[in-house]
Amino acid sequence: MLRGFTRKFKPLEILTEAQVEEIHRATLDVLWQTGVTFHHEKALKLFKKNGCKVDYEEKRVHFPPGLVEECLSKAPSSFRFKARDPKNDLIYGGSTVYFMNMPGMQTVDLDTWEPRVPTRKENYDGVTVLDALDNCHFMDAYSPYFGFESVPEVMKIPESCAAKIRNSTKVQGTGYSMDCEIFCIQMSQAVGADLVGRCLAAPPLTYYGDSVEAAFRYIKAGFPIVLCAGGIMGATYPVTIAGTTVIGNAECIAGIVLTQLIKPGHGNTAGCFTLPQNMRTGAPAFGQIGISLLHLVFNQMWRRYGIPIYGLADTPSSSKAIDFQCGYERGISLAINALCGANSMLIFGGVHGELTHHPIQAILDDDIVGMVGRFLEGVTVSDETIALELIEQVGPIPGQYLNTAHTREWWKKEQFVPKAADLLTYPEWMQTGKKNCLDYAKERMEEILATHKVSMPLTPSQEEDIERILNEARKYYRDKGLISDEEWAVYMKSLESPNYPYG
Amino acid sequence: MALGTLEELKRAVIEYDAEGAASWARKAVEEKADPLKALDALTEAIRQVGDGFGRGELWLPDLVGAADAMQAAMPILEEELKRTGTKRETLGIVVAGTVFGDIHSIGKSMVCTLLTASGFEVHDLGVNIRSEEFLEAIEKYKANILAMSALLTMTAAEQRKVINALKEKGTRERVKVMVGGGAITADFAESIGADGYDPTAPGAVELARRLIGK
Repeated sequence: MLRGFTRKFKPLEILTEAQVEEIHRATLDVLWQTGVTFHHEKALKLFKKNGCKVDYEEKRVHFPPGLVEECLSKAPSSFRFKARDPKNDLIYGGSTVYFMNMPGMQTVDLDTWEPRVPTRKENYDGVTVLDALDNCHFMDAYSPYFGFESVPEVMKIPESCAAKIRNSTKVQGTGYSMDCEIFCIQMSQAVGADLVGRCLAAPPLTYYGDSVEAAFRYIKAGFPIVLCAGGIMGATYPVTIAGTTVIGNAECIAGIVLTQLIKPGHGNTAGCFTLPQNMRTGAPAFGQIGISLLHLVFNQMWRRYGIPIYGLADTPSSSKAIDFQCGYERGISLAINALCGANSMLIFGGVHGELTHHPIQAILDDDIVGMVGRFLEGVTVSDETIALELIEQVGPIPGQYLNTAHTREWWKKEQFVPKAADLLTYPEWMQTGKKNCLDYAKERMEEILATHKVSMPLTPSQEEDIERILNEARKYYRDKGLISDEEWAVYMKSLESPNYPYG
Repeated sequence: MALGTLEELKRAVIEYDAEGAASWARKAVEEKADPLKALDALTEAIRQVGDGFGRGELWLPDLVGAADAMQAAMPILEEELKRTGTKRETLGIVVAGTVFGDIHSIGKSMVCTLLTASGFEVHDLGVNIRSEEFLEAIEKYKANILAMSALLTMTAAEQRKVINALKEKGTRERVKVMVGGGAITADFAESIGADGYDPTAPGAVELARRLIGK
């Protein structure tokens, strides 16, 4: 099992108990008075059977408060995500904090900072880097990239899932779209691992059929499900933090009621990928301090509900480059969300929002996570750390501590040493070519790609299963007419590469 | 007083008052105001808001609020144009919408608002629009530009579908196709056979002008 980090002190809180209850009551009001639309016949019938008021014409479900409270109490406060290699299993919940990668639609050129579609090799190398980074505990859906060269849209998620299974033994999440989860579930089952499933609302207050169908499939496979408040403040959610929390809670809770009615006790986590709107461009406004305030409130609410918190919008930056803005936006927001009690957070590799990812950034993020993780572990106070005997023994000058066993024993536990930061003196820095953190990160990436081996390579029969399932997916989408002749020709040619599947 | 009514109509749009704009548009029709002058009042109002947005004095909520007010008044005046058989001079006729499977509207609405402010006649079909709906609207309004938006990578492919449907119907050459949205790139636009792409709303207006030589 991966230990992750343990937050060893009380989480930061901002709301009074009365405010928590006020937001909860408003959430119950939204669920009962306004209701949530579900474009899924089977779900509507299930809700009706269990006491919800259902308007079949509008497909609107009104949730009685008693049922909501009952379902919240049935959802477990902690559960296990099973990895391909058991040493990478996660126990999710409590004070444990894990970190995962931030996916990107494309990669970014390190000289021009312009985005471009990654190659198949870059995608597989990206997975290798994430697998090698100790502080990256699991990988989110659509990662590291949403897709890569020559892969048709409908095959992007299955190809992404296969890449992570082949080049990593860590837990991975997946998405749903046009039935792709069927193939991702099969691939994960073929290697004995869980997938982190998703069932996302389309804000405001709507669940489309593909999302709900995916929930039924994940639950049948026994895979935990992430719910997510994913609106844009001022566009699909109210612009205020309190109003956004209410509607985001209502969407997540509607998903939890669905899950718990399908299978009581099934694992759920509540995530928050809510962002303010950039009121100039209309795009999501990444890296804003308001997101941290929202997380503070959202996390406090979900601790009240006793359901693990899957942080999502923690660190994406508005910067297009790996630069100062990118560093301060992700560093500040990651630290705050870790302090306010999230059980997992996204960071590794995301450069600009969800649009770009780069493994160099992931290596730099390993240091940010190391720093924040060390902070979370807090301070050990014991006879040994108070070191009274040692202080007496060393005494005043000329006494010193550098040569003591106590220093050798404790310094690495007390301090965190980043791997890609410039920590040299000026003379050393000038003599070694004035390297900065980006230079060190590039060196570390080269080393990882040259030396890292996945802890449990796939057996030949597992590899055969993965390729067979991918082929079934290819045929399924081709037969459905979702891959055009042009796309199919390019895709098939790419599969003939002598380096397939890795390049 | 017809003049007072048109000033009120303009004020309603500038103050984001959709109900007021509809009500003043109805009043203008009752008072037999020239529907072209009423439409000019709307365009002038949205141009003022668009200019304010361009100068950085107004923000997206202001732009969308004014666009909603304009949209509330527009059908009333269009109906009157039709009834009186009045012809309207515009830069061009645009049919716009977000493609099927995609419900994101903000970028598309920004483009529609700025196109209207620039003097185009814009028919915004909304979101989640199937290819047959685009084709019908192009016929119905005799559009010379089709503007399609897609935010999701999964729905970007719908834009290709619409263009292919135009080709199958033999009407591809009668309309210029511009595409945009978060998932779209210049390369993608070229690969699906679109006539133009721009990543920003003001850029989309320039693109529309270029496409029809205005």
